[in-house]
Amino acid sequence: MERKRSSRRHKPLGEKIKDSLRHFVAFMFSNVGIIGLVVGYTIVGALLFQHIEGKNPKSVTKKTEDADRLRNATADRLWNVTCCFIIPLEEDVWIKEANKLIEEYQKDFVRTMKGAGSDSGKSTDNWSFSGAFLYSLTVITTIGYGNVTPRSEWGKITTVVYAIIGMPLFLLYLSNIGDILAKSFKWTYAKLWLCKGCPGARRRRLARAMQHGNMSEAEEEEDEVDDGEEADDETNSSSESGDTYDPQTVTVPVTLCLAIMVGYVCGGAVLFSKWEDWDTLDGSYFCFISLSTIGFGDIVPGSSVYSDGDGIEMSFIFCSMYLMMGMALIAMCFNLMQEEVIHKIRSCVRTIRYVTRCNRRRAAAAT
Amino acid sequence: MSGGSVGAVAGGRGPRAGRGPLSRSRSFDPDPDMHPDMHPDMRQPYPGHMGHLGHPGPYGSLGPPGAGPGMAAAGAGYAPAYGPPYGYGGYRGGYDPGYAGGGPGYAYQHHQQLVHRPNANALAVGHAESERSKCGMFWRYVWKLSSCLCSHVTLVSLVVAYCLLGAMTFEMLEKDHEVEVKKNVTLRRSNVTQWLWTMTSDTAVLHQENWTHSAIERLKLFEKELVWAMRSQGWDGSEDLKLVQWTFAGALFYSIIVITTIGYGHIAPKTHIGKVVTIFYAILGIPLMLLCLSNIGDVMAQSFRFLYWRVCCYVCTRKPQPQSPQPRRGTRIARSRPASSRSRLASTRRSGRVSTRSADAVLHSVHGVVRASHSDTECRYPDEDHDVGYRDGGYRDAGYRDYRGASLGPPMTAAPMAAPRYADAEPRLPGGGGAGGPGGPGPVLYNKYALDREESGRAREGQRRLRAQSVGREGGREGRRRGPSVGPGGSLPRQHRLAERHDFERGPPVRGPPVRDSLKSSQRSSGYGSASHRRHHSELAPSPRIMSPMGFGINRNLFRAVHGVDDGLGMDADLELGGWEAASSAGPGGPGQIRPVPIWLCVFLVVSYIFGGAFLFSNWEKWHFLDSAYFCFITLTTIGFGDFVPAQRVESNAEVSIALCSLYLLFGIALLAMSFNLVQEEVISSVRAVARRLGIIKAEPEDD
Repeated sequence: MERKRSSRRHKPLGEKIKDSLRHFVAFMFSNVGIIGLVVGYTIVGALLFQHIEGKNPKSVTKKTEDADRLRNATADRLWNVTCCFIIPLEEDVWIKEANKLIEEYQKDFVRTMKGAGSDSGKSTDNWSFSGAFLYSLTVITTIGYGNVTPRSEWGKITTVVYAIIGMPLFLLYLSNIGDILAKSFKWTYAKLWLCKGCPGARRRRLARAMQHGNMSEAEEEEDEVDDGEEADDETNSSSESGDTYDPQTVTVPVTLCLAIMVGYVCGGAVLFSKWEDWDTLDGSYFCFISLSTIGFGDIVPGSSVYSDGDGIEMSFIFCSMYLMMGMALIAMCFNLMQEEVIHKIRSCVRTIRYVTRCNRRRAAAAT
Repeated sequence: MSGGSVGAVAGGRGPRAGRGPLSRSRSFDPDPDMHPDMHPDMRQPYPGHMGHLGHPGPYGSLGPPGAGPGMAAAGAGYAPAYGPPYGYGGYRGGYDPGYAGGGPGYAYQHHQQLVHRPNANALAVGHAESERSKCGMFWRYVWKLSSCLCSHVTLVSLVVAYCLLGAMTFEMLEKDHEVEVKKNVTLRRSNVTQWLWTMTSDTAVLHQENWTHSAIERLKLFEKELVWAMRSQGWDGSEDLKLVQWTFAGALFYSIIVITTIGYGHIAPKTHIGKVVTIFYAILGIPLMLLCLSNIGDVMAQSFRFLYWRVCCYVCTRKPQPQSPQPRRGTRIARSRPASSRSRLASTRRSGRVSTRSADAVLHSVHGVVRASHSDTECRYPDEDHDVGYRDGGYRDAGYRDYRGASLGPPMTAAPMAAPRYADAEPRLPGGGGAGGPGGPGPVLYNKYALDREESGRAREGQRRLRAQSVGREGGREGRRRGPSVGPGGSLPRQHRLAERHDFERGPPVRGPPVRDSLKSSQRSSGYGSASHRRHHSELAPSPRIMSPMGFGINRNLFRAVHGVDDGLGMDADLELGGWEAASSAGPGGPGQIRPVPIWLCVFLVVSYIFGGAFLFSNWEKWHFLDSAYFCFITLTTIGFGDFVPAQRVESNAEVSIALCSLYLLFGIALLAMSFNLVQEEVISSVRAVARRLGIIKAEPEDD
């Protein structure tokens, strides 16, 4: 493809347009295809896990039943202590006894909660479709919150197989979408920021020419710029009408990429803090932990204790969309930054090599 | 062809002859046709080197003998004279074999023409070399410094230090909070008791229903508080103030979990500052960890590959000892062939002759006829004349400019020629003495086939790896030729050389197919894997020794590494053979050198690692085996649900468990990195092939 792109520059306009159109359609197909593939795979995973784990009703209902039973038993025992066990009903003795009972109860309760997993006290079924969807997504993105985990053996085996297939798929999605996002972002950046009227446009264009790796070209252009407005206009017109320069050669500054990532995290923080009643720090912490695929799972959407069912469903879906977009965006930023960094390293190395070669030549020429 | 080959043999043998017993070096002499002729040419372009190396003596003695006629004598004198101190002379001699192979008469004239020239350049070269030595020292120190900084050990210790730092920070930040939460839970429970007592004492008449009802309501409230404490305060359920989660070990585990992006979430920061610190800790730590892991994975992949090809294939090979000398000798010819093939390409007439000759050679080799190469070289004398015409013309500017023009300077360009030949000459010591006895050309012919056999073997291997055959073989050949062709190119006009190189890249060698066929039929034995692997190493090893007086050997390696860094990641193969050349011309490297380890082995390794870990954890943590395997998989893929976390039940030796788990997952992730490193090329190429096919399928309908 690289070869094609480089040769495209020398082709006539009509051919070029046709070529680029074909490329565009092919790209659209492949990218839309990959998005659809990932979403479809996640939906299939959601249905699969829902089917496997949904049959397993013990988790939530049993836990609440256990809690109820424990609570009732404790209350009964407390009543016993109150009415029958101690006849004089002294405060110290009673409190001692009650404290013992409640501590026991607390331990049992905690054990119940922990033993059945961390998904405690939720009124809705954890393996709802949206929950399973989020679960599938966290598996293939390797985030792995762990708020919902498979309990049955088949669920675990399916998770392993699902991850083996899904992770490369998602990586492919990331690289593909990251690539196309990077390209479109570059194009936008080139059109918007490097326009004619902007101050510093010349400097940027010079920088672009330098990045071509062609020092002489840069010098030529510099000369032209120095010559005055006429030459400048010429280069501008040629670059705009004939599109002689490729917007893909523009390098986006690293700071912009960083700003995009930080902005995305902060935007997510604001959204989540409104949606989930977190504070902003928790929101941004959640966004960062999710997008870096660490995924502690200590803060998970829809986990606000005893919240309503609909809200949880919506928040799961919203979180899934946020994650898919965010990871693609981060892939884009890495794509852009990586190019920039590689550019810098290359030029650095080239300079070093040039200098050393120069020295040698000079030394040899001196004798 | 054979002229160049023999020249190379002579050059390659020079150093060995110097070191080895005289008899062996004499055994070489019966090749008088080329040998003496080589002398003048060989020495002349590089007197500066000789002078620089501090061995001017032999020059005087061997000096301008115009040696053409006195072949046998000169040949005889040659080896001893180049004895121990003059190994470099011999080695330098090998430097320029392509031209050296000229005919007697011609070479003599040529010598006369050139006899005054070298002195002019001698100084320059000498000076350049001393300059280079300084430069080399400088580069060596720079490289040492940077390698010190970036070496694996330092990187690993950096990561460890980072983890320890994180552990201390997080322990400091979170421990107090956790203790507070625990105290808070105790307080709340006593609140419940207090509330119940007040209720009991306040009520005048105690009804069981009423009392139980209100108690239950209060208990529900208490439950909510407990759940809240567990969820958002990170309470682990125990009130014992000594059993803190955020001990140093726990915090260390947490740091590792963060920077590997596993993120179990069994402990998570609960304070605001802890969260902020976690974010920045991860921002710095994740790239560091990735770097370290990829580095470790790289090293592991290299050593594993080495182990696999060195040990496994060595063991698998039936008779490694008898077979190994042939490929070695073959490689020597491989070194030398570029020189001769360069001259071959200089004229079409010659190339045609070469093709016929190669066909002849096959026959000759089969019948054991030795003299064929002699006649062939004699046929080629006029062509050599032609070549030297170039040389006369462009000697001063093109040759030396080119010399300097190479990015690495003369020692670098010298190295490719020198090192391999020297290297290949050396392994002959044990086995080659007898074989060399009867006549020099004998081994030449023989070796040619050995080489081709190896090449065909390589090509076959390329096929086996599902790579495009042309890419594999051409890449390998190109790489092999390119390196050596620097030397000859040094005395040709640059454009000429470049054009020829293009030829190499484009057209397949004329005599490739027949020879290969013969070889495939005759020598399809196993073991070229190990043999060529050994060759591969023998090329590398001697280079420091050759250049060591000036420190250039190290320097060369240094540059190899530097270029490997800056010119792309897939260059190592090319760097082994012609890296300097490819680096200076920024050409694509021939990836024919990396020998892949089969995918199934890597998969097997990872799977067995997971199951081993499963066994270990099921014993250690008393988990079910499936749960353990699930845990290992979830951990190694860095999903990290956190539903199974080690050191949660075994309270007694939690730290040992944490240490075990940390080691397991760190090594496991490195193992995964290694496996990816090993198989990625194959996987990527096959996936790309599939993708390309798909893309074409998709793109073409739209075209229509």
